[in-house]
Amino acid sequence: MVGVFDNEFDLIKAFDQVKAKGLKIDEVYTPYPIHYILEGMGKKTHMTHAAFFFGVFGALSVLGFMFYASVISWPLVFGGKPFNAFPSFMVVTIVATILVVTIMTLFTFSIRAKIFPGKTAKIVRPEATDDKFVLVLKSDEPGFDKAEIEKLLKNNGASDVSF
Amino acid sequence: MEEKFIIPQKFRLLTIIFIAVGVISFVVGLLTDPTRAWANYLLNNFYFVSLAIGATFFICLQYITQSGWSAGFKRIPEAMTAYLPFAAVLFIILFFGIHSLYEWSHPDAVSTDNLIQHKSPFLNVPFFIGRVVVFFALWILMTQMMRRISLREDLEGGMNHFVRLEFLSRVTIFIVAISFIFFAIDMILSLEVHWFSTVFAAKAFVAAFLHGAAVITLIVIILNKMGYLKLMNRSHLHDFTRYMFMLAIVWGYLNFVQFMLIWYGNIPEETVFFVHRMHGVFEVLFFANIVLNWGIPFLFLMPRFSSRSRMVMIPVILLLIVGQYTELYFEIWPATVGEAKFGLMEIGMYLGFIGLFSFVVVTYLAKANLVPKNHPFLQESIHHHF
Repeated sequence: MVGVFDNEFDLIKAFDQVKAKGLKIDEVYTPYPIHYILEGMGKKTHMTHAAFFFGVFGALSVLGFMFYASVISWPLVFGGKPFNAFPSFMVVTIVATILVVTIMTLFTFSIRAKIFPGKTAKIVRPEATDDKFVLVLKSDEPGFDKAEIEKLLKNNGASDVSF
Repeated sequence: MEEKFIIPQKFRLLTIIFIAVGVISFVVGLLTDPTRAWANYLLNNFYFVSLAIGATFFICLQYITQSGWSAGFKRIPEAMTAYLPFAAVLFIILFFGIHSLYEWSHPDAVSTDNLIQHKSPFLNVPFFIGRVVVFFALWILMTQMMRRISLREDLEGGMNHFVRLEFLSRVTIFIVAISFIFFAIDMILSLEVHWFSTVFAAKAFVAAFLHGAAVITLIVIILNKMGYLKLMNRSHLHDFTRYMFMLAIVWGYLNFVQFMLIWYGNIPEETVFFVHRMHGVFEVLFFANIVLNWGIPFLFLMPRFSSRSRMVMIPVILLLIVGQYTELYFEIWPATVGEAKFGLMEIGMYLGFIGLFSFVVVTYLAKANLVPKNHPFLQESIHHHF
């Protein structure tokens, strides 16, 4: 079941009432992020932690590689600097760490969200990609009363309700 | 919202005691070891001016970006900028210490040293004094104008004050950015007259903004603990933390860039700075500087829960306050005193300046409504949440 709302406030009212009925909300599409909805969905992301560990991993492996290359495997005197020219390694480390974090976070997100190049987009309602606020509910849940929910959404200012 | 700050009598007494301690240690220092006393005087003066400049920059940035969240806390940076006239007087006293501090101020050094001679059209006593006077005149003029309009907004309301302040902020931010860079070069960089560094001034500026933001946050938290500024919530704390976190990274970057390029280039004009500073206590300070000003804020203010918790923020801010002292000590001491001396004189004079600074800040906080009444973004600030 899909409810289309014209503004944020109607959506939040409906969102709260559906939740109060004990029903699970499948998905909410909004033109811009709404913190209330983000918190209300109760979905926690560990993306930030993953990104932090990718960063630590990237920094350590880049530093380790440069140490291996310039100290252990192929020591060369470069401009009178010691083999382990740590300050000059830092520049490459910073840039490479950013690259590692970006790419690995992108892949992690794609895997978690099951997105890949060439996947056909799942568009619930075309308005969801425009300026409307769309609330998606699962109608096969136990205790789901179609008529009642439709009335609830309409009462809260849903401009359109469809199945 | 009518909210007036009343200065606790005990606090006022404490600041006056601190000021007395500072004056006594300065006088005793002048009699026993004048160079060290003047070095202390310069360090503390620069320290607190950079806090006031950081606060000025903070206000200007809020107006230029039309930030809503910070509207309720505007009075705190404003009160900090009120320290500038007092600092101007203190810097005029520094005139008597020029010969104890700056090598280029000695006529015999100018006549024998080619490099100093080459720099003397810029680094000479009359021009030096002239620059300091002009800078302070500009800073005081701009901050006082902004303060006056801000107070008038409280009485009259309306949008036109905000528009005028936004315009003034654009002017002030240019003046402050350019003049503080020259100020830092004059005061600190020219101590090491044979040294060349192109990012030094930018680093000093970012340090000023970083520690200014940290002190603003500390004052906000203390006021909230005392029962004022009821509008403060965790989202505001998070925004303050963002400033410290971001600036700590910028500071760490500039500090590293300065060191790395000098280390890699290995040119005598540049390495002269680090040659004295890589032995004994100063080497410890070099690393302490990085840990206090970049490492700790970067690690501890990164997670979401700690960036909105006072329990984490207060120790980090206190360490940042120590960090600013460490940085200036690291820059000033090897060039003037020569060895790492730290004793009662340093503590006494630092306390003296803390006393004066907090005396000025609380006095100016008490002079106006603690929460600006007619600021157009006040409601947004009160309901700030993310």
